[in-house]
Amino acid sequence: MVPSSVGIALEHVEKRFPGGLVALQDLSFEVAPGEFVALVGPSGCGKSTVLRLVAGLDTPTHGRVHAPALRDGSRASTAFVFQEATLMPWASLFDNVWLPLRLAGVTRRQAAGQIRELLGGMGLGDFEHAYPAELSGGMRMRASIARALVTRPQMLLMDEPFAALDESTRGRLNADLLQWWAERSLAVMFVTHSVYEAVFLSQRVLVMSDRPGRVVAEVIIGQPYPRAAAFRASTAYHDACRKVSAALEAA
Amino acid sequence: MELPRLVALAAAALLTPLAAPAQDKVTFATNWKAQAAHGGFYQAAVDGTYRKYGLDVRILQGGPQVNNAALLPAGRIDFLMTGNLLHSFDGVRNGLPTIAVAAMFQKDPQALIAHPGQGYEKFESLRSAPVALIAKDAQFSWWQWLKARHGFRDEALRPYNYNLGPFLANKRAIQQGYSVAEPIYVLNQGRFRPVVHLLADHGFSTYSTLIVTRTDTVQEHPDLVQRFVDASIIGWVSYLYGDRRAANARMIEDNPEMTVAEIEAAVELMKAQGIVDSGEALSAGIGAMNEARIRDFYDQMVGAGLYEAGDVDLARVATLRFVNRGVGIDLKARLLGR
Amino acid sequence: MSANRWLPLLTMVALLIGWEALVRLAEIPHYTLPAPSLVARTLWQNFPSLATSWWFTLKITFGGLALAAVGGVLIAAVFALSRRVEAALFPLAVVLQVTPIVAIAPLILIYVESTTAALLLCAWVVAFFPILSNTVLGLRAADPNLRDLFRLYGATPWQRLRLLLVPSALPYFIGGLKISGGLSLIGAVTAEMVAGVAGRETGLASRILEASFRSETPKMFAALALLMITGVLIFWAFNALSRALIGRWHASEIN
Repeated sequence: MVPSSVGIALEHVEKRFPGGLVALQDLSFEVAPGEFVALVGPSGCGKSTVLRLVAGLDTPTHGRVHAPALRDGSRASTAFVFQEATLMPWASLFDNVWLPLRLAGVTRRQAAGQIRELLGGMGLGDFEHAYPAELSGGMRMRASIARALVTRPQMLLMDEPFAALDESTRGRLNADLLQWWAERSLAVMFVTHSVYEAVFLSQRVLVMSDRPGRVVAEVIIGQPYPRAAAFRASTAYHDACRKVSAALEAA
Repeated sequence: MELPRLVALAAAALLTPLAAPAQDKVTFATNWKAQAAHGGFYQAAVDGTYRKYGLDVRILQGGPQVNNAALLPAGRIDFLMTGNLLHSFDGVRNGLPTIAVAAMFQKDPQALIAHPGQGYEKFESLRSAPVALIAKDAQFSWWQWLKARHGFRDEALRPYNYNLGPFLANKRAIQQGYSVAEPIYVLNQGRFRPVVHLLADHGFSTYSTLIVTRTDTVQEHPDLVQRFVDASIIGWVSYLYGDRRAANARMIEDNPEMTVAEIEAAVELMKAQGIVDSGEALSAGIGAMNEARIRDFYDQMVGAGLYEAGDVDLARVATLRFVNRGVGIDLKARLLGR
Repeated sequence: MSANRWLPLLTMVALLIGWEALVRLAEIPHYTLPAPSLVARTLWQNFPSLATSWWFTLKITFGGLALAAVGGVLIAAVFALSRRVEAALFPLAVVLQVTPIVAIAPLILIYVESTTAALLLCAWVVAFFPILSNTVLGLRAADPNLRDLFRLYGATPWQRLRLLLVPSALPYFIGGLKISGGLSLIGAVTAEMVAGVAGRETGLASRILEASFRSETPKMFAALALLMITGVLIFWAFNALSRALIGRWHASEIN
């Protein structure tokens, strides 16, 4: 199960926190390069912990984690999008998106073209001088994703990124996310509460059990990309949703 | 608050011939916590002199953070003790309706003290002291005179907060004090006798411990003023030459930090230095004042730059009608067994 | 909305008119409560000398404040880096906060040669704690997710300080500064009341005392008026500073 250099693999991972809480136990799965995988599970099952382990923000108590973030310190290879946009409120949109490059030593002038192109592609071209407080929730989330994509990462980790947004904004962002993913070659791990969202977006849905979490089911979503809104009305979609829901219930 | 008092005084004045003296309630504010320099007033309060003169006197202490002076023009007190004529000059210049009616001290006991053996035995050497501890109110009054007349410099000035510590700790320091008070405390706490230079010996010729009251009190109740002045004079005679134990006890009650020994030592100094009963007072009675001396002192202050000539209408500084009447001379003779 | 801007000014003017009327109608003597017109006249007549004292008080106030800001920020940085150091030294900081200046100013003057230095020290003592306390809070207030992000991108400690911690702390620091501005003025004035000396290098506190001792009530009020104006100016200036630095993005300034 040794992954190729840009995939991720977790092997029998256990995460025990000081104080005795066991978040994950015997958790194993893989993600192939460029694959879009969704992670669903009941509240508190450790989904966020999985992302943190993959990002290298935490280490397992037992087991192995293979991930780009952990390979010879190649930090910029992995990007994280949180549930809150987590933008720096004191900086403009431009400066927020510049941050990862700036931390890597790229000057503003050097990064300008890339940043502008990115912002333009996400519908934020007119707002590069705006401050986060001046933007709507949806736009802030786009900016957060733009920041994540600016370093051309190989791995994008998303922790319930659209959960705080309203239905229609969420729908729009779902479609946009698929487009942005299609334009690049990067793997995505998408954690969500919503079965519908997981099925619509991903190629594979991993279902986690209750705490201590492990992967108990895997549902392949065969629908090819690009996926139009019509997919949501199809039988294949509903079948997959039912399967995932069932697995969730059993978890 | 004035009206009820007026009515009471008027009633008392009317009734006086008919009955034993009805008591006029008056408040007299001093300029410090109770000390020997207030002795005469406390004497009159405890030995019945004020009562005999138809007065029920409440003595209101002053103190380091207290400024009783403002109470007089505001009508909250009837009589005020002040330490020197500068206060009166300022009052007249600023239109305060107050006037001095008696000067219980012929000499101001204000002094500068220094450590012995530091070369401060001569007054002239004091101006070169590196540290001079002078209290806030003095900084704005006689310190200015010391600078102009005797060459003292602001560079040496430090605030004196009525704590002997800084003086005791620094042999080169000098500080202010009452010639009849601080030297005693220094002896007790520092165990040495300081060098004492009385400002009065070097040109600071003001009267001291003046009784000041409102001009309308003088105009409308001269009898009351006369009685208060006379009783206070008698009080001082009794205090200096008679049995002052009750007065001392009363002062210690008001100011528990005082001791009988300190008070007695102070009284001896007051007598020896001729603070209260000297010069004119020997013939005209304690409290004596004369115009020439007030004018002379004013001219000196003008010369020192504290005032411009003509700033102050000297006629309004003091009235002599209540003193210089020989009150207390007989009593003194009797007490001294002559 | 713009009507609100005029309210403070209108209120002040109304109060002044009321005060003037009261003094005139009740015939209150000038040595008890001078009328605003008299105070203004006295201020004008004595302005050259009062202005010198005013400048001195301003120097002490802002000098003490600057020292408090520098000291507060530096020590806050140390506290934020080490909880142990904070636990050990925080009681000291609290002691500084609650010590009454009236009591320690004369003591400080015993040990410190220059009166100006002693007054600066007193202003510093009262202004120091709010800045320290608020800045420590601010340095700890950085969004944990942002912290993770900085870690993810391999930020150096210096980058983290400059790009994350300092901006996060800025609103809190400014909050502390707003409080300390007024306190520094009070500290400077109080210290001078007890420890200042007449003559050289005197501020408004000495002028107030002098006028009080010499029965010059209108002049006392004139000096007091300058003090109050200073307090208002400090408040206004720091509000403007706050708007300038964080007005665009911090919740406290928006609306």
